Amino acid sequence: MTPWYVAAAIAAAGLVMVLRPGRVALRRAGAVIGLAGFAMLMGFGLRLAGASATSASTPLALAVATVGVIGAVRVITHTRPVFAAIYFVLTVISAATIFLMLEAEFLAFALVIVYAGAILITYMFVLMLAHQSPEDEIGRIGAEDYDRVPREPLVAVFLGFFLLAALGSVIERVPPMAADSAPSASIRTTDAMVQAQQRLPGMQAADGVPADQPDNVHVVGLDLVARYPASLELAGVILLMAMFGAVVLARRQIELGEDERRKAAGMGGMVLDLPENERGGA
Amino acid sequence: MSELAQPSAGIVVALVLSAVLFTTGLVGFLVRRNMILMFLCTELMLQAAALAFIAFGKMRGDTGGQVFVIFILTVAAAEAALALGLVVLLYRRRETLSAEAWQELHE
Repeated sequence: MTPWYVAAAIAAAGLVMVLRPGRVALRRAGAVIGLAGFAMLMGFGLRLAGASATSASTPLALAVATVGVIGAVRVITHTRPVFAAIYFVLTVISAATIFLMLEAEFLAFALVIVYAGAILITYMFVLMLAHQSPEDEIGRIGAEDYDRVPREPLVAVFLGFFLLAALGSVIERVPPMAADSAPSASIRTTDAMVQAQQRLPGMQAADGVPADQPDNVHVVGLDLVARYPASLELAGVILLMAMFGAVVLARRQIELGEDERRKAAGMGGMVLDLPENERGGA
Repeated sequence: MSELAQPSAGIVVALVLSAVLFTTGLVGFLVRRNMILMFLCTELMLQAAALAFIAFGKMRGDTGGQVFVIFILTVAAAEAALALGLVVLLYRRRETLSAEAWQELHE
């Protein structure tokens, strides 16, 4: 367990250095130290899995994971919110790549569409609606104080170190080479699938795939409706309630003070005050 | 078949990545002072949980993990809609996204 703690401590030290505002050289050194700590964490995990567990795709998985972690750290350190959101997309895409490697194809694409396509666009809209970056005298775009200076980075990273250590003890208990002892096919032909194939004439396997080897979409879809129908209904209720909530929140009027009302009136008030002959002259 | 030995390393990489992403999300939630980015960090944590679900599901050869991730996506979408609606309301009151503008709430 000790190597995990050491690696987590190194990663935490790197993160603290990256989080400090100013001093670009220090932040770069922190990034290198943090990446080294992450590499040690990964090496420790891979040693648990055993050398025979690695395969041709392992370096690719490691590279994708590194990109994902860099994206995540940029999300919490970038001084401009819109760029932080874009780095979040990077993390989403690398997570989706890991999903693909774990043969969860449907969810990989669902993740990209729902997260990068829908949720992140909403975040972008709100960021751009609510927020205008201040400009200095020569027109360079700066950052707000609350985006530049982190709040209590030492305490936060200390807490995060403990969380990572606790999570490491869980990963350590994962039995090595578990994938071999488990039924190798994550795709199993269940009774429900056989029935569905008999009942639904349109449900046919794709070209080149044997009919008794349904693909990931079939399996997940059948699982969703056959094993967890109540949860599916509940998810619908959650979405409906969220929609109601968003509508109610958006419709609420805000009582503005005298100053704010004058500010909000802005241009509209000036147009109304124009004399008759200047309005709509063209 | 070479696929038999392959998952183990992939699962471990996914689990370690999940742990690191979750920790980063937590640290980000504590460190960030912009309300929108604080919620973005919770999305980071949800993402890490989804990764762990997929990895453990793959390890046990059970698709239940993948089904649960669909529900995570549902909750994430609902959370984003409500949280962003609230943030817009708060922004219209104080004209700032800083979480410290609402510091008196905890008193």
